[in-house]
Amino acid sequence: MSLDPSRYAELFRTESREQLSAINRALLLLEQGGDAAEPISVLFRAMHTVKGMSATMGYHAVAEFAHELESVLDRVRRGDQLLAPDLMDALFASADALETAIDEGSEQAGQTPAMVAALQRLRDVAGGSSTSEFPGAPTKETGALVEVAVADPLDGPGVIVRVRQAADAMLPGVRAFMAVQRVRALGEVAAVNPSLDALQASAVPISFAMRVVTTASVDEIEHAVRSAGDVAFVEVDVSGRTRRESRSTIAVVAEGEEVTRASARSTRHVRIDLARLDALMNLIGELVITRGRLLQLTASNPDPALDESMQMAARLVSDLQTEIMTMRMVPVWQVFDRFPRLVRDSARALNKDVTFVVEGKEIELDRSLLDEIGEPIVHLLRNAIGHGIESPAERAAAGKPRAGRLVLSAARDRAAVLIRVSDDGRGIDRPRVLARARALGLVDEGTREVDDDALFRLIARPGLSTAEQVSDLSGRGVGIDAVQVKTRALGGSVELKTVAGEGTTITIRLPITLAIVRALLARSGTERYALPLTHVRETLEYDRDVVQHVKGKPVLVLRDEVLPLLDLRDVVRQRAAPFAGGPNREIVVIERGDRKSGLVVDELIGQQDIVVKQFDAARDGLALFSGATILADGAPALIMDVGSLFEGT
Amino acid sequence: MVAPTVLICDDAIFMRTMVSDILQQAGFEVVGEAETGAQAVERYKQLRPDLVTMDIVMPDMGGIDAVREITKFDPDAKVLMCSAMGQQALVVEAIQAGAKDFVVKPFQPSRVLEAVQRVLG
Repeated sequence: MSLDPSRYAELFRTESREQLSAINRALLLLEQGGDAAEPISVLFRAMHTVKGMSATMGYHAVAEFAHELESVLDRVRRGDQLLAPDLMDALFASADALETAIDEGSEQAGQTPAMVAALQRLRDVAGGSSTSEFPGAPTKETGALVEVAVADPLDGPGVIVRVRQAADAMLPGVRAFMAVQRVRALGEVAAVNPSLDALQASAVPISFAMRVVTTASVDEIEHAVRSAGDVAFVEVDVSGRTRRESRSTIAVVAEGEEVTRASARSTRHVRIDLARLDALMNLIGELVITRGRLLQLTASNPDPALDESMQMAARLVSDLQTEIMTMRMVPVWQVFDRFPRLVRDSARALNKDVTFVVEGKEIELDRSLLDEIGEPIVHLLRNAIGHGIESPAERAAAGKPRAGRLVLSAARDRAAVLIRVSDDGRGIDRPRVLARARALGLVDEGTREVDDDALFRLIARPGLSTAEQVSDLSGRGVGIDAVQVKTRALGGSVELKTVAGEGTTITIRLPITLAIVRALLARSGTERYALPLTHVRETLEYDRDVVQHVKGKPVLVLRDEVLPLLDLRDVVRQRAAPFAGGPNREIVVIERGDRKSGLVVDELIGQQDIVVKQFDAARDGLALFSGATILADGAPALIMDVGSLFEGT
Repeated sequence: MVAPTVLICDDAIFMRTMVSDILQQAGFEVVGEAETGAQAVERYKQLRPDLVTMDIVMPDMGGIDAVREITKFDPDAKVLMCSAMGQQALVVEAIQAGAKDFVVKPFQPSRVLEAVQRVLG
């Protein structure tokens, strides 16, 4: 029987990456100071696991590297090695080298240049080469068989038991200890030669002898010794009576024995290509559309039996859709986990002191959405560090703590997920942005004030940057533009809040899934539009009592809030009728970030799952629509980019 | 003949999968898995497997403490330690804590089965 390591390659890579995440997290914790015991033991464990897995895979260079790191960590753990800053740096560099080695073909025989460099650095700071030698690849050289003279200093009562271990014994010291221990169960082991301590420490197979005071039979003693494993030879000397046995034949499960009972256990995970899940999602999308058509058809052909079957089929389609969407959901930590390291590196490169906090790691998002949103978050984090958070000296002068606080959070909000990047830095410099905007002719000469939304639109323009010094980290405002474009393409929206001297918060609102979203269907004139529930808070009937006018503009008074009102007819430029009520008119309360407003529609048709067909209009800063969908009757409808509706208000 | 049951304890899926494959091919029924020492103890009490394979280095109660707990609960528990090179002292400690045998990573299936045979023998 043999195992083919290639079967395990994928598992190895996935799990090693998880271990690397743990390693980076622990390194960051260590660097922050505080109690080192827990992060060190996490590090040690993770490194140990990587070592074990790589050795099993035959990736000896990686295993050896991990072993060296483990040795250093062990010394730190025991207090023999101080955790100086340059050791931390060397450890970070080592973690990077390990990651690269694991990512790119670990089979290569030698160590990568990065590994060699990292090891050198580690040795430089940790003082000389690590103490424990890596046992290395399981080469065929079977280790020197040390024949300890079995002199008999074992004079005294009892029987003498002589043992020689198998040449290929693994951890022979432990085996020897076990042999002595097993014999102890039969009587008193009066003496051991060499000493038990020496035996235990032996790294090579060894011969040894013990004197045992016992009433057990020769067979029992031999059996006990053999049960310790890796025994090549055992001899029990009972007052001149000796009995020899040839090489041990430890029972091995015979090849022919009934060993084929593959007991199926079903709690294992199966890894599925994301492309297949996408294909499944597309098919479900088509099925959802077809279901809509069928439901309409059956409604117009009343037949109880058909109707019942149709309802059943419709429910099954819903269940199937839920199942598939659930399969695609992953917790955000899968992407968030790499940020602490990124923040650390950026902060160091810019000489900033940053405390990074991640909240809501367990919140789940559709896999493809999560993959797409990673990059925008990186932009936001880098902007916060590069432009938001001040230098320690500047912060101290402003009476703030020297370390800036950067918070990345994820939270579920009904049909949406909110991702927020928040810093307590200097805030965006409005006068400077305005000055630039005036110079570029983006705003009127007289403009002296700008609210958060307008400010956001300005900084989201390519080329408008306030960065005094362009670092390779945050570019020139390209980041914000990219965040905006990407988020809208995903059916989401971005909101900015900034207060001079206090900090900046950017909130990304995203649908939970990409392909099928729940939407309100609304009619305006003869057209139907889909409003994704991601941005819908509630709906209410258009009622003269709730609509008032402030400075000539209609507003909605909802509980204690006064919300601006928009008419969908104006929005889509139908301008068919003056702003007014009507028999079926309703108000949809939409929201983005913390802002709300009311959208008046001619009629609400209902709520349904729509299959999003994306198009590129979201690239245009003024686009009102994020995509299109096919309705149950086969007609197309545009999907409103609700977030963009706030930009005119 | 009823397949002997085994509980596999290791914090790495990779290792669990490999041990599980080796033992299943040898006719064992894997009745449970554990990722931490605490889980191992809990599952042992619940499943009473014929054999336990136990990693030494695990979060939330290491393998050695888990062996101690399991042996306290059932002195006849058959626990096979899964160790790595260079863990001599820890393996000795595990044996003292009640483990019946050990195997060394990287695993060779034949060695694992030899050890299993000795433990169950």
